[in-house]
Amino acid sequence: MSSSLVSLYEDLQRSFNSIPSDLKRCGTLLSQLKIGLIEAGLLIPQGDLVLEDLVIARDILEIGAIWSIRSRDESSFDRYFSQLQTFYNDYSSYLPPSKREFPIRGLNLIRLLTQNRIADFHTTLESLPLPADAIGDNPYISHPVNLERWLMEGSYSKVWNARAEAPAEEYKYFVDSLIGTIRNEIASCEESAYNSLPLKDAALLLFFSSQSELLAFAQQRGWEIDLTGATITFVRNGEEQLEIPRQKLIAASLAYARELEQIV
Amino acid sequence: MADVEMRPAVTEPKDEERKEDKEDKKEEKKDEPKKEPESPVTEIKSNAALIEKAVATLEPRFTHRVLRTLAALRKRLDDSVLRKAIEEVYPKDSSVKTTLLSWLPAAPTSDQEMEIDSTTTTAPAKPLPEPVSEVEIYLRLLIIHHLLKSPDHYTKAIELARQSVEKMQALNRRSMDPVAAKIWFAVERAYEFGGEIADARPMFLAAQRTASLRHDDEAQASLINRLLRSYVHYSLYDQADKLVSKTTFPESAGNPQYARYHYFIGRIKAVQLNYSAAHTNLQQAIRRAPPAKVAPGFYQAVHKLSVVVELLMGDIPDRSLFRHPVLEKALSGYFEIVKAVRTGSLSQFQTTLAKHAARFEADKTYTLIVRLRQNVIKTGIRRLSLSYSRISLRDICVKLHLDSEEDAEYIVGKAIRDGVIEGRIVHEKGWMECGSQRNVYGPEVSEMFQRRIGYCLELHNQSVKAMRYPLNAHRKELAAAEGARERQKELAKEIQEGDLDDEDMGEDF
Repeated sequence: MSSSLVSLYEDLQRSFNSIPSDLKRCGTLLSQLKIGLIEAGLLIPQGDLVLEDLVIARDILEIGAIWSIRSRDESSFDRYFSQLQTFYNDYSSYLPPSKREFPIRGLNLIRLLTQNRIADFHTTLESLPLPADAIGDNPYISHPVNLERWLMEGSYSKVWNARAEAPAEEYKYFVDSLIGTIRNEIASCEESAYNSLPLKDAALLLFFSSQSELLAFAQQRGWEIDLTGATITFVRNGEEQLEIPRQKLIAASLAYARELEQIV
Repeated sequence: MADVEMRPAVTEPKDEERKEDKEDKKEEKKDEPKKEPESPVTEIKSNAALIEKAVATLEPRFTHRVLRTLAALRKRLDDSVLRKAIEEVYPKDSSVKTTLLSWLPAAPTSDQEMEIDSTTTTAPAKPLPEPVSEVEIYLRLLIIHHLLKSPDHYTKAIELARQSVEKMQALNRRSMDPVAAKIWFAVERAYEFGGEIADARPMFLAAQRTASLRHDDEAQASLINRLLRSYVHYSLYDQADKLVSKTTFPESAGNPQYARYHYFIGRIKAVQLNYSAAHTNLQQAIRRAPPAKVAPGFYQAVHKLSVVVELLMGDIPDRSLFRHPVLEKALSGYFEIVKAVRTGSLSQFQTTLAKHAARFEADKTYTLIVRLRQNVIKTGIRRLSLSYSRISLRDICVKLHLDSEEDAEYIVGKAIRDGVIEGRIVHEKGWMECGSQRNVYGPEVSEMFQRRIGYCLELHNQSVKAMRYPLNAHRKELAAAEGARERQKELAKEIQEGDLDDEDMGEDF
C-alpha cells in the first residue's frame, strides 16, 4: 500500500473520529481513497494481498458505509455494503473479525425493512454467519429482527417503543421512515376496523402528540373529521355491486373443456 | 443439515435405477438370474464391455444401463476386486492400467500370484485390445467411490476426482457425457467429505458453462444441482436465486435430478416468502422423488420443509402424513408445531419451538418456523371471532397471551384489514364485535374453483409426463388389434358366405 494512501487513511480516521465528525471532509477523502484502493487492487480484492492492507481496505469501506448513513445517502450505503460483502463473506476466514461488521449488517437489515423489501430482508437474514438461535443474543441483529416480527403481527406499539432502544446511533436515522411506514399501516387498519374514532384516541393510536399533526394526516388520507363531536368517521367504501366476470368464466369453461377432451 | 441432505445424494444412483428400469424391464429380468451369482469383478468386466458397445454403436442406452447398477456395485467394491478388474480389462503393458492401479494400495502377495496365474493363462489365447477412454473414466468413478468409503482416503479421492475431471475435459467426447455427469456427483461427494464444498464451486461454475455450450444436458442438470446445493449449504440464497434465474434446467433431465432441483427451488422460494411457489415446487419434488423406502433421507427432508411451508400458507398438513412409517419419527417435532398452530396457542408454540430448537436448526427450518408466530396469532383471533359475537380486548389479550391491550387492538385491527376475520372494533367500549359471516358466493368462489381445477389439471399433466412406458409395448397391442381385425374380417366373410349358403340352400329347397 502506497504511503499517500496511508496518509489519506489516517486523515479519514481523524476526521471521522472527531466529535462531531467532519462529514464533508470525509466525503472528499473517501472518494480519493476509493480511487487509491482501485489502483492498489484492493476495492475488489484479487490475487495475493497483504493481510494488513485488506484490513485497512475493509476499514475504509466500513467508514464509508457509516458515513453514508450519517449523510443520509441510502444508495451510497447500498454500494458500500455490496463492496463489503466480499470482505465479510469470502475473506471471513483470513481476516480478524471487525467490530463494525454486525452494526453494518444490522443497518442493512433495517434499511431493507424500511424500504419494505421483506423478501430481501429474509434472504439476507438467512445468509448471516450466525446460528439462528444466536440472533437473539446479538443486539445489532436482534433489533431489526424484532422490528420485522412486530410489524408482521401488528404489534405497532412495540415498534414505537423500540425506536428509543436502537443499539447504535446510526439506527436512529431510519426511525423516521419507519414511523412513517407504521403510521400508514395503522391508518389503513383503522379504516377497515373502525366506524368512527374519537380524535383524542386516534392521535394516541397513531402516535401523534398534537392535534394539528393528526388533522394534517387525516386530510392526507381523506378522512371525515367532525370537529364539534371531536370524532373521525371513516368513509366506508360501500359494498359495490360486483359484476359477474362473464368473459373470464367463458374462457375458463372453454379451457376446462379442452383439457377434458385431452384427458378422455 | 449435512446429515439429512447427504442422504438423498447417496441414494441417487439407486433411484435412477428404480425409475428407469421400467423402460427395459424385460431385458433386466432376463439378466437378473444371471446377475445374482456374478462376482463384482465379472460385473465390472461386463460393464466395461457394455460401455465399449455403447461407444461403438453410438447408443448411450448401454452406458445408462451400466450406470444404473452403480449403487449396488458400489457396496461390493474392495481393493482386490478393483485391482483384479483393472488387470483383466486392460492389456498387460498398458500405461493407463498402471496409473489406475497407482491409486489403489499395493496388493498383498497372495493376490498378485493369483492374478499372474490368470493373466498368463488368458494372455496367450487372445491379446486384449486397449479399451476406450470411457471405460477408464468409469473405472475412475468406481475408484473414487471406493476411496470415499474410508476417511483416510478422502484427500486421495479429491486428488483423483480433480485429475479425472481434467482428463474428461481434455478428451471432450460426447459419448462420455453420461459417465461424466456421474463423475461430477462423485467430485462433490469427495469435496464434501474431504474439505469444503465451496472449494469446488469455481470448478463447477466453469464446467457448467462448458456443459451448457455443448448442450450436454446430463452434466448440466447434475452441475446446476451441485451448485445449488453448495449455495444452499452456505445459506447463500441470493446467489442461488440468481443462478436459477440465469440458467435453464434441461428438460430431458432425469427424475432424481428434477426432484433435487425442485427441492432447492422450493427452499429458495420459501426463504423469499413466496410460499405458494415453494409449495408447488416441493410437491413436484415429492412426486418425482423415489419411493420413501428407497431414499428415506430425501423424502424426510422434503416433507419437513413442505410441512412448514404449508403452515406458513395458512393450511394445516394432513394428519395421515405424520403416521407414515418413514416420516413418523423424523416429523415428530413438526407435528407438535402443527398442533400448536392449529389450536392458535402462542404459549404452546413458544415452548415447542424452544424444545426442538436444535432439531429445527439442524434441519435449517428454524427461521422459517419462527415466522409462524403471526400465523398462530391469526388462527387464535379467528377462533375467538368464530366463537364470540362480542369480546373485550382485555379478554383477547389474556386468551392469546399478548403483552398488552394496546397490542391486542392493533393486532385485531390488522387482522380485520387483512381479511382474516370479519368484525369491528368499538374503541370507546373497548371490545370487538364480530360480524356475521360474509356472503360467500361471490366471484372469488369461481376464482378459487378455477385455481383448484387448474391445480388438478396441472397435476394430471405432470403425472402423465412423469409416466414411463416399456419400449415397444404398443407393438403387442398393435398385433392384438391386427389379429382382432383379421378375425372380424373372417367373421364378416363367414357371415357373408353363410348368407350365400342360406340363399343357396333356399334356392335349393
